Amino acid sequence: MAKKTSKPASDRHRAIRIALYNHKGGVGKTTLIINIATALAKLGKRVLLVDTDPQCNLTSYLVEASVVDDWLDKSETPNGATIWSALRPFSEGTGDIKSISANETPDGIFLIPGDIRLSKFEEDLNQIWLECFQRKVHGYKGATAISELVNNVSKKEKIDFVFYDVGPNIGPLNRVVLLDCDYFVIPAACDLFSVRALKTLGHSLASWVRDWNTISQLAPDNVPLLPGQPKFLGYILQRFKMYGGAMAEAFSSYASKLEKSAHSDVVMVLREVDVNLAKSSLSQNKLGQVKDFSSLVIYSQEQGKSFFSVDGGIDAQKQEAKAAFTSIANNIISQTKGHSSN
Amino acid sequence: MKKVTIDTEQKKLIDNLVNHYIDNKRFFIVLLNQVETSVSSSQKLQPPLIHSVKSRLKDPEHLRDKLKRKMLEANEKNKKFNITTKNLFSKINDLAGFRIIHLHTTQFQEIDIELKNIFKEQGWVLHEGPIARTWDDEYREYFDKVGIAVDKSPDLYTSVHYIIKANQDNPLTCEIQVRTLMEEVWGEVDHTINYPYKSGSHSCREQIKVLARVTSSSSRLVDSIFSSHKDFHENSKKSKTKAKTPQKKRK
Repeated sequence: MAKKTSKPASDRHRAIRIALYNHKGGVGKTTLIINIATALAKLGKRVLLVDTDPQCNLTSYLVEASVVDDWLDKSETPNGATIWSALRPFSEGTGDIKSISANETPDGIFLIPGDIRLSKFEEDLNQIWLECFQRKVHGYKGATAISELVNNVSKKEKIDFVFYDVGPNIGPLNRVVLLDCDYFVIPAACDLFSVRALKTLGHSLASWVRDWNTISQLAPDNVPLLPGQPKFLGYILQRFKMYGGAMAEAFSSYASKLEKSAHSDVVMVLREVDVNLAKSSLSQNKLGQVKDFSSLVIYSQEQGKSFFSVDGGIDAQKQEAKAAFTSIANNIISQTKGHSSN
Repeated sequence: MKKVTIDTEQKKLIDNLVNHYIDNKRFFIVLLNQVETSVSSSQKLQPPLIHSVKSRLKDPEHLRDKLKRKMLEANEKNKKFNITTKNLFSKINDLAGFRIIHLHTTQFQEIDIELKNIFKEQGWVLHEGPIARTWDDEYREYFDKVGIAVDKSPDLYTSVHYIIKANQDNPLTCEIQVRTLMEEVWGEVDHTINYPYKSGSHSCREQIKVLARVTSSSSRLVDSIFSSHKDFHENSKKSKTKAKTPQKKRK
């Protein structure tokens, strides 16, 4: 096939969209997103978090339980403010997506709240995917619905970085989210399962990109499309213990296994589909590392704040956490510079 | 006379072209499915207006033969063979083929109107056509009358062709052929005997030419049967309303 003629949704906002994705759960995805987002906000970036996990962990992390409950209770009313409130008219066939406003947190981060009912839309997405293959307009609209919502909010709030918090699975919802992203990051813990997960992750992403390429190559003119080119920004190693200034041995063996697997199971697999999806050099795959800040995690979850802005905890640890996340944030800024989504 | 051949380099080019097609076959599979979905979603393109539909992807070996023929032809005329992997899909338009078969020629106009509606509604780009290929003067007149360009058909082949594309940017095409069931029979016989290489038998070639004439007459006869049938019903309706006498049942 001749060079792909990408036809992303018209006037895609310049905000860079990133997913932290690992279908293996419990790798600390949500915690990581909040810390990276806070670090980016402190560097002066405008950050939007989109909770596309029907479990709403991100939303519950950032927002008081009573407020979250209220959102969920009202999400199907005219004042609905969650991601489902926006998607519902489309999902139920009563109209296009509804525009909603993002919520600004005290740390200056914007949030599109999640919703358990988003799982209804996920059910639609299987059919929507088939419709895209059959060249039906409803399919393209459905596949780009979340993208369009994020685009509208990004424009309105002049966002620089969008982070999607996705559920830990290889499902149709994550497929459209990942295909909307400019980049993805793999959060990985130092354990056997994280290493093993990379294999399926690389192959699923490759087949999604390939399928979407087929869909967009054969789509009619003037229908909304996803960019379908999520580039691998690197993995973040976390939850390892330090022993006298170095990574403890049990963890360091997994760390090197992860590095190898990221290269052979993700980078090489994606490059086979399109060389632009991942850089070939082995050393560039690690975006950062975050050791186990056990006590800070608890404070952070209780207070809905990043590790380094919690009340309490050991100052030295907070400084260390701040340094680690600021470094990741800077890496993200520099590695995504010059990206143009159009 | 010096025999024209294909050299090793040219052979390699053909291999590359065929492999390029094989590598991209998944796009053609989807494209062909989409055309089929589009046509079958139409309320009108159903029996009795159409008899049946067929779809096929070109066999890579048939593409190889076609490219070889084109290359030999270019060599013979001392012309440049100008197909590359970059333009293969815009130069060869019948890699995905879809056929609509109907019973008699005068159904064509309605099929044409409906096909153009589908192209418009579903965003298909009509890249080329429709062009009717026929050698029969009476049918030439019919196609002229319904506004379809007519091309000569020296090999006595009869059908109407459209070439469509999924969008403006993508080079992939699908060829849609519309022909009658009679013409389909002729086409199938000719294809089996003469494709990819013309039959060496003089009498076979002769008989296939005669079959084309019989086919044309048969198609014409079917047209006549249907128009008589229609005529008969319209007249009997008229006389019913006039005389209100019950018609005798046919035995």
